[in-house]
Amino acid sequence: MNLSFFDQFTSPCLMGIPLTLISLMFPPLLFPSPKNRWLTNRLSTLQSWLLHLITKQLMTPLNQKGHKWALILTSLMMLLLTINLLGLLPYTFTPTTQLSMNMALAFPLWLATLLTGLRNQPSASLGHLLPEGTPTPLIPALILIETISLLIRPLALGVRLTANLTAGHLLIQLISTATIALLPIIPSISILTTMILLLLTILEVAVAMIQAYVFVLLLSLYLQENI
Amino acid sequence: VFHTTRPLHTTQQCLAPLPPLPEKGGEVRYGLIPEEFFQFFYPKTGVTGPYMFGTGLLLYFLSKEIYVINHETVAAACILSVIIYGVKKYGSDVAAFADKLNEEKVAKALAVKNDAIKDLEAAIEQEKKEQWRVEGRSYLFDAKRSNIAMLLETNYRERLLTVYNEVKKRLDYQVAMQNLKRQKEQDHMIQWVEKSVVQSITPQQQKESIAKCILDLKALSKSAQAAV
Repeated sequence: MNLSFFDQFTSPCLMGIPLTLISLMFPPLLFPSPKNRWLTNRLSTLQSWLLHLITKQLMTPLNQKGHKWALILTSLMMLLLTINLLGLLPYTFTPTTQLSMNMALAFPLWLATLLTGLRNQPSASLGHLLPEGTPTPLIPALILIETISLLIRPLALGVRLTANLTAGHLLIQLISTATIALLPIIPSISILTTMILLLLTILEVAVAMIQAYVFVLLLSLYLQENI
Repeated sequence: VFHTTRPLHTTQQCLAPLPPLPEKGGEVRYGLIPEEFFQFFYPKTGVTGPYMFGTGLLLYFLSKEIYVINHETVAAACILSVIIYGVKKYGSDVAAFADKLNEEKVAKALAVKNDAIKDLEAAIEQEKKEQWRVEGRSYLFDAKRSNIAMLLETNYRERLLTVYNEVKKRLDYQVAMQNLKRQKEQDHMIQWVEKSVVQSITPQQQKESIAKCILDLKALSKSAQAAV
């Protein structure tokens, strides 16, 4: 099969049946569910340690009411982490490279934080539109700017994730194509390109984890302002 | 309350005793292929059998272009080498960390149990000591009783002495009074006798006595001269 550069970004389809749901539901299957045991095997111990770490990290800055969001934020983090990391394997489809998926995650969650803030403490959440200590003549301009910044948040969240992952995957494809194309011509340059590819792969692993963390962290920050 | 978080299976499905799970998973060669695969080939093809099979399969896929070498192959090689390097380098550390987490959990529970046992043993020792103390209680009471008796006795004796001294003082006073009275009477009488004697000495008697004294003295002086 001769792949073009963008075949990895097409949603998987088998004889006309879209397999997107399976590709989204598969990563959670990789986590063993906690059984009714006190001492678990190594994988379950590590998994529960990681979950505790993530939840503690996310929930420490939030007040009591924000702890209702613990489940969705932690599960979102684990989902994004697994999807991103699994996407680095060859011939896999990464759902988070699709803008539609990331906007579907970012927009409702951001809107939920905004509406929570506006409903429960409207003046406080609107007060975030003006930073403290601004000189008086700047106030109208700054409010406009802050409003635009607020409204652009879901776009930023979604596009950030999409762009990072898509760019990373595309770069990997391009550099490996260069490696293969240069192999019969100048093998030494090909080896240099392979080194670059190795470093890029390590970067992509890091980026996959960081982007997942940043997405969830920003959501928790927006929540902190509004709850 | 989130109903999505309700766990589906809260207990095991069957209450009969299940066999315990094995301690370790199945043996795997090269992290992917179970050992049973190699054992399956061993009787017919020996040790190199499965490797020949694998190589043949791979070459078949490559030569027939069932698997096409494209850019994904290089990307696959890179990511796989990164993964294998990571697992080889940090695998044992991660396993030790997981074991340590479990150990700490067990140690915490054991610590609770051991603390409870220690507290109970200390309580037993304390109780035994109290029982021993009870045995010696009669001696303690005897000692206290004799102590008090001695105190009472001493007090009584002291008071007796005080009484005696007081009485003696009064009696001495009376005796001294009587002595004084007698003394005074004697002195007075002596004085009176002396006074009357002196008064009774008439001048005639005085002259006679003086003349007698002179005669005595002369007689004595005579004898005295002789002695020198």
